[in-house]
Amino acid sequence: MVRKGPVERKEAIERALRDGRSHFEFRSETRRFLLSNSINIAIGIALVVAVWWVVAEVMIYTRGALFPTPPETISALWNALNGAELNGETIYYHTGSSMMRWGTGYAIALIIGIAVGISFGTLSRLYDTGMVSVYVVQMIPGLAWVPIAMLIFGLGESATVFIILMTAMPPIIINTAGGIRQVPPVYNRVALMSGKSRISLFTSVLIPAASLSIIDGMRIGLANGWRVLIAAEMVLGAMVGLGATIYDSRYSLDFVSAFICIMVICFIGLAIEKLFFAGLENAVRNRLGLDKEA
Amino acid sequence: MLASLKNVSKVFVNPRTGKGLVALNDVSIQVEQGDFLCLIGPSGCGKSTTLNLLAGFELPSEGEVLFKGKPITGPSPERGVVFQEFSLYPWMNVLQNVAFSVRSGNRSEREEIARKHLGLVGLLDFAHAMPNELSGGMKQRVAIARTLAMDPDLLLMDEPFGSLDEQTRRKLDNEVLSLWKGQGKTVVFVTHSIEEALMLGTRVVLMSASPGRINQEWKIDLPWPRDPLSPEMTALKKDIVKSLQVCSCANGASQGGFITISGSEE
Repeated sequence: MVRKGPVERKEAIERALRDGRSHFEFRSETRRFLLSNSINIAIGIALVVAVWWVVAEVMIYTRGALFPTPPETISALWNALNGAELNGETIYYHTGSSMMRWGTGYAIALIIGIAVGISFGTLSRLYDTGMVSVYVVQMIPGLAWVPIAMLIFGLGESATVFIILMTAMPPIIINTAGGIRQVPPVYNRVALMSGKSRISLFTSVLIPAASLSIIDGMRIGLANGWRVLIAAEMVLGAMVGLGATIYDSRYSLDFVSAFICIMVICFIGLAIEKLFFAGLENAVRNRLGLDKEA
Repeated sequence: MLASLKNVSKVFVNPRTGKGLVALNDVSIQVEQGDFLCLIGPSGCGKSTTLNLLAGFELPSEGEVLFKGKPITGPSPERGVVFQEFSLYPWMNVLQNVAFSVRSGNRSEREEIARKHLGLVGLLDFAHAMPNELSGGMKQRVAIARTLAMDPDLLLMDEPFGSLDEQTRRKLDNEVLSLWKGQGKTVVFVTHSIEEALMLGTRVVLMSASPGRINQEWKIDLPWPRDPLSPEMTALKKDIVKSLQVCSCANGASQGGFITISGSEE
């Protein structure tokens, strides 16, 4: 049914008025939306860079601090992207090892979080007691997991992955369970009166109906995991990684490298949010029939 | 007898607030094969509760709800419901929504049955439309097609056209009537419109609120299409309006039909 007419908006409106029709179609203006979206992102980034630059110049002038300025950092980033090493490894290696840790922790958080969220969402009694524990875990700040992770896993990769898992999981559980509980009762009733099995109730009704909420949880969980990854790397004695490099600048005074890593972190976060999740949400919204046509 | 409520009471309690609601108090109804039974009454008189009991979404607090002589223990495709609110799955197209409720067959067989029933409600051309592309009246017609496609013995309709405009509602009333005649189904139809009940039903049952009870029943053996302005219809309407005014429900309904039960009693 979603057919777009070949005519521009203005002309289509004129034609519809002239012909006395109540519905009309025109060439969709996706490109214009994409453009304004990109402009918004560019302005947002420019603002942050401007404030950074002012602060850097003021610090250099008043305190004589080695505060890296945006041009200095960007040219160093260029060199790093061309293979210059920082903190003993290439930027690619640091980014790769950070993303590996984060990916592992996040993947486990997704599997456990969605499974637990679905069971909490369906079973009221489990929800009432279980959610208390989830909220307690959610209240624990990311860095507070460091001693716990050390006691269980010692120093190293497993401890880092554990911290990411524990901080990414609660919002996934909360949103999945909440989403399923908010499915309109009539959706359940239709499936029940049609004699559907429990499995088919889940796959055909509950999960699609709750999917936007589940995606929200994935989003928050992802951001939580990404933030704590940097912190966890700082403390748990990782030798490589974006967080480890930032932490090392305390001793090496290589603040430019630290700033490069901060930029990479921001860029990856922004890319995942704007490219991956925004796209995923749009696709799901479309699939759910939520983007109503005028 | 196809279905019946025998001395049924339904009580809802909220243990947290200590408030309770008697939705139905000692209600008995018998639904015969081929009936078009209209339930009318003010809001809060237990019409929807009665329907939910027949559907199996609720179980009685006291008494028995029977279908083909056996107690109803839960929802079943033998008893199809057309809901008051829009109930199509927005992520499925019209055909998929209808095919979802078809009981047996592989995918193409189910779609074939779904197409047949979409044809009955005149929406075959919209088989591949998404629900949000349809008007309110079309959505309810799809919902009717979906319920018919389940091939239920009892069709339960809970104010299916309550949210539609007058013109659309009349049109759909007539469609339901011809489907009922054509398919030989049994229908229980909840409405708050006396006129709608009189235009459709073979039986009109008036319920009163606070607590919900059966007030009175009229058997109507006028042929269709009925003229709402004919002397018989006008007389019936007057009679029903009089019963409505006399019954205790008028006050109860204005208080929202709620009563408080102290903890020791319930």
